[in-house]
Amino acid sequence: MLFGQGGCDVALELQRQVKDFVLRNFLFTDDDKALANGDSLIRGGIVDSTGILELVGHLEQAFAIRIPPEDMTPANFDSIDAIGAYLARRLAT
Amino acid sequence: MGETAPLCARIAAIARNDPARAALADGTRSATYGELWSQASRFAAWLRGNGVVAGDRVALVLANGIEAAAACYGAWLAGAVAVPLNAQARARDLVPWLQHCGARAIVHAAGSADVDEALRAPGTPALRVAVGAGARSDTTVSWDALPACADAPATAHHAGDALATILYTSGTTGAPKGVMLSERNVASNVDSIVEYLALGAHDSIVSVLPFYYSYGASVLHTHLAVGARVVLESNTVFPQLVVEALARERATGFSGVPSTYALLLDRVPLAQYDLTSLRYVTQAGGAMAPALTSRLRAALPNARVFVMYGQTEATARLTWLPPERLDEKTGSVGIPVPGVELDVRSESGAPLPRGEVGEVWARGANVMAGYWNNAEATAQVLRDGWLRTGDLGRLDEEGYLFLSGRRSDMIKTGAHRVHPQDIEEVLAEIDGVVESAVVGIDDELLGQVIKAFIVGREGSVPTPEQVKAHCRARLPIYKIPKHVEFVAALPRTASGKVRRVQLAGTPQIQVPK
Repeated sequence: MLFGQGGCDVALELQRQVKDFVLRNFLFTDDDKALANGDSLIRGGIVDSTGILELVGHLEQAFAIRIPPEDMTPANFDSIDAIGAYLARRLAT
Repeated sequence: MGETAPLCARIAAIARNDPARAALADGTRSATYGELWSQASRFAAWLRGNGVVAGDRVALVLANGIEAAAACYGAWLAGAVAVPLNAQARARDLVPWLQHCGARAIVHAAGSADVDEALRAPGTPALRVAVGAGARSDTTVSWDALPACADAPATAHHAGDALATILYTSGTTGAPKGVMLSERNVASNVDSIVEYLALGAHDSIVSVLPFYYSYGASVLHTHLAVGARVVLESNTVFPQLVVEALARERATGFSGVPSTYALLLDRVPLAQYDLTSLRYVTQAGGAMAPALTSRLRAALPNARVFVMYGQTEATARLTWLPPERLDEKTGSVGIPVPGVELDVRSESGAPLPRGEVGEVWARGANVMAGYWNNAEATAQVLRDGWLRTGDLGRLDEEGYLFLSGRRSDMIKTGAHRVHPQDIEEVLAEIDGVVESAVVGIDDELLGQVIKAFIVGREGSVPTPEQVKAHCRARLPIYKIPKHVEFVAALPRTASGKVRRVQLAGTPQIQVPK
């Protein structure tokens, strides 16, 4: 089982996993304080057009899902919060 | 090619005669030609009112937007020189650029930590305008608060040889290279492009290319010069949104670099969208694989695909490939744009026979006046009215140009041009780095990605993550090395120069002496 018990725990665990990946691969740090969950990944210059492909590729592999092009929007991918919420929705269905 | 009307005069005429015509769209915001010119005129009046005179430099550090366009034209209206700087640049780049061009005024996005840091350095402009929320301060005027002016200022704007813009093509190592483009350079290249693309007032283009790069500036100027509309999309991070904009806006045109098209073709089901309004798509900014061009044509059967080539030193455009000849001239970047002459020459500058590979030289009204305050760099590329492009290629029997590489070490990654020295300088600051060499290695999506080869100090070699973290804190995202490899020594020539070609794994192209 990937996550802890309960919807809230699931969402938090998803956020943590995504944040770990973003910190390691785009900010090259394990310092949790380097990025707030609500920070814009695009405006903050953290993820660019190739970074988003790396991120999506990772999520597809790690969570065994396919992310269709129409889901690749700022509403779903511009922050750790947004990505966590998107994953929670996808994995709940 | 004869003398052409200054660009400002052309756009001003459209704003006067048809003020309600749509000029720019940026998300939920838009500007008519009348509104765009009103903003440009206000800024021009403010500059003049604050003592800016003809020839003074005005720096623009703005992402694409209505204000970025209005600030450029406003600077020109005031007779000043617009200096658009890379909005992704960090303070370490901005400071030397601002100091080197001696900017008297700056327009920048409010809340940019790098701009704020840069403006604390000596020799940076005291006249400051900020765009966006929270812009006003003791030292900075808000763009929205620029006073209205009853009349547009008399066009102080230069014509002919007067300097219109400086575009910096390299960073902080040594003397920066700021390409000086005159009004004549800009206007003549606009005319050439308008002619072969057959642009008109009915056109509407979606643009993802930054105005601070020559390609993006060219897209903006060519379309506004003829009364067309420019729809701004901020980037290609979400390619789906770009395609949605093309369909929603019934765009007739689109411009991109090879990676833009790779992203659109790979990540978006184009067939699900009605893109039948697209009349032309243009590609420049590095060689696009013929297979990708073929896929693009198949995906957009109604659009004419224009493969083009140019460089900032030639304002933007040097060649174009007539779409009808794509099949028979596969791999070519085409023929000179109207008003441009091309030659292929040996190392010593002697013309080479057709078919032989040498350096591409260009001549025309679009060729820059030189690099700002850098006579040495200017002398290296301007010879007897010709521009040495640094690109290698051959002309076929019909005069079609086929490129085969570059003489310089410049890395082309996506839409960006990166000089290895800018990164090596940052790497040298890391404890445990003895020396380094940065090269571009082939990448299917971006054309090239950046790889750093590092010789570490025994006992204190940093990890690749530490290297990248150091770069991340000091460089824009596109300059962070994708790959880091530690080596015992860098390969060198007999004279001690690093063999970058060997590190990049690319074949050496020999040019006749």
